[in-house]
Amino acid sequence: MQADRRRLNPPAGGTAAPIFATPPTNTSKDKGQTTKLTRPTRTRNPDEHRKLFLRTGVVPSASGSAYYEIPPQQEQQDGSLVPARSSLKITCTVHGPRPLPRNAQFSPNLLLSTHVKYAPFATRNRRGYVRDSSERDIGVHLETALRGVIIGERWPKSGVEVVITVLEGEDDAWWGNTERQEAGWGMMGVLAGCITVASAALVDAGIDCVDLVTGGVAAVVDHPSGGGKNDSAAARGRRLVLDPCPAEHDEISAACVVGYLQGRDELTECWVKGDGGMQVEQLIDEAVKASSLSRTVLVEAIKESVEVKTGAEVEAPNGEPKGGKGKKRDVEMTG
Amino acid sequence: MANGSIAAPGLSFPRDTFAKLTPGPFLHAHLKQPEPVRPSGRAPEEGRNPTINTGSLTHSNGSAVVRVGDTAIVCGVRAEILLASDVPRPPSDNAKEADLIEQLGLLVPNVELSTGCSPAYLPGNPPGTHAQSLSYRVNSLLNESNLIPLKDLTIEYDEPAAEEAVLDEGPTTVVKAYWALYIDILCIALDGNAFDAAWLAVLAALQSTTLSKAWWDADREAILCSPLAADAHKVRLTSLPLASTFAVFSTASPLKQRHQGESWVIADPDGFEEDVCKETLTVVVTPKRKGHGGILRLEKRGGSIIGKDLMRRCVSMAEDRWSVLEAALRGG
Repeated sequence: MQADRRRLNPPAGGTAAPIFATPPTNTSKDKGQTTKLTRPTRTRNPDEHRKLFLRTGVVPSASGSAYYEIPPQQEQQDGSLVPARSSLKITCTVHGPRPLPRNAQFSPNLLLSTHVKYAPFATRNRRGYVRDSSERDIGVHLETALRGVIIGERWPKSGVEVVITVLEGEDDAWWGNTERQEAGWGMMGVLAGCITVASAALVDAGIDCVDLVTGGVAAVVDHPSGGGKNDSAAARGRRLVLDPCPAEHDEISAACVVGYLQGRDELTECWVKGDGGMQVEQLIDEAVKASSLSRTVLVEAIKESVEVKTGAEVEAPNGEPKGGKGKKRDVEMTG
Repeated sequence: MANGSIAAPGLSFPRDTFAKLTPGPFLHAHLKQPEPVRPSGRAPEEGRNPTINTGSLTHSNGSAVVRVGDTAIVCGVRAEILLASDVPRPPSDNAKEADLIEQLGLLVPNVELSTGCSPAYLPGNPPGTHAQSLSYRVNSLLNESNLIPLKDLTIEYDEPAAEEAVLDEGPTTVVKAYWALYIDILCIALDGNAFDAAWLAVLAALQSTTLSKAWWDADREAILCSPLAADAHKVRLTSLPLASTFAVFSTASPLKQRHQGESWVIADPDGFEEDVCKETLTVVVTPKRKGHGGILRLEKRGGSIIGKDLMRRCVSMAEDRWSVLEAALRGG
């Protein structure tokens, strides 16, 4: 492979991620034995969403921006360097609407382009600098989710760019589970977050939308404790959970992401992955429920930012500029 | 648009419009007042206060989020293992230890600007000249400051003496592997002076970096690491060089006499001022020892207004700024 000459490259020998040894137990009873790794378990109810943090206006130079975070629910306790689970941190900026370049074809609608990129340190395995197929995939899904809400006819001959940087993404599975590492379940949760954060940034940019779109994710999880492999699905303990954290479940058999407009009861995006069996409809319903839950957070965040904006405008005309430090003040311009 | 333009009576434009139309005269009008104030409300030699958060990223060995005004930088340090046997051209034994990190390429900083941080840098393209130059400046500063001792990055192994060897010759220590640190610097929001903020983020992230205890497992012929946080060690920084950038705004032009032009030095320029000013100076100073600090680097380009006296003044301002930044690093 040719080296990337525009970036600084890793050492020529190539590096590998560190391999961790299992720590020996400290108890005297079974000294020398290696500890058994325990998977984190889900402590919230199946229909409970993790806490969300959402804030708009984080990038002043962009026309709209937002930051979305699912903070880690509990601190790492066992003194281990390997994090048990991942949290989610996404920033989004919106640039535009702005005129299309002169050589572009005429477009009667607003041209929307989305761009999703993981930071190199976002996941357990280091990511590359160039977008890979899964990132493009999320970008395309995000675009369909947003295209349905933007009123594009109001901006002919212009374009808007939605740029998302995933600072920290969800795991695909529990890291200690060596058998199942395929199937990108993590990107489902990331996509739901992307839809919500992009919606907040679009509102911050003042782009007309028919409603607020929010993302929600639900999954069908298997609990092998329910019986052997040959039992029926119900006996194996299939369960529907809302907002799954893939690290907390042994096996996920299906997941669904929706982009949902609560005001109009419409879906702009629906992506079901895996074998949902008979439960696909219920699965979609659960995902819709998840997106209505994140809508409450979105509405609060937008309200807050509008209050800050209007508050500033009310203050500006009658409040005498103090002229102190950090205050902008008018100056006389001559010549 | 919320620019406070509701009650603009008469034929006057709001401030933002003037700033867009005639950026140069707009800045000049601010600076030529008897008490010069920059458009942002700062005094000419006043920097923006940094805020630093460390250790917020789960999957990196060390991380920092630095905000300087409206510039926000996230830096994550990720450590991976480079086996000594994989190095294609092993450095010679008598190479200076200070140069080894650079020769092996153990520190890999990369600045990413195309995260949508500003409309000027749109994603989807390979890094542009500004991003490339920032990466190289960070890299060369990392290497020439010898910030990290090589000892912290080597993984050694006490090789048992071979059977035919003389018995009283103890076990020999060989270097089996090195830690390579990937330092990824993402600019989340850009409002001027990216280098100072990026360098501050790199230092803060490196200060919070922990490397797990690693050893050579002779049976598996691989490096294993201990997952226990208690065994891990912090990366020690040998010194704390900090950067301060100054820009020069000047009204001099080829059409005027030399003495007619006026010029101002402004510290820590924001995005608007950076566009207007041509000449910039970056001073990297190291902490004061026995009363005087050292200058690690002077980078100046774009003009000849900063002479000897102004340079002296800038260096002393950079020394003052050093203590401000250092306090922020300690607090973060």
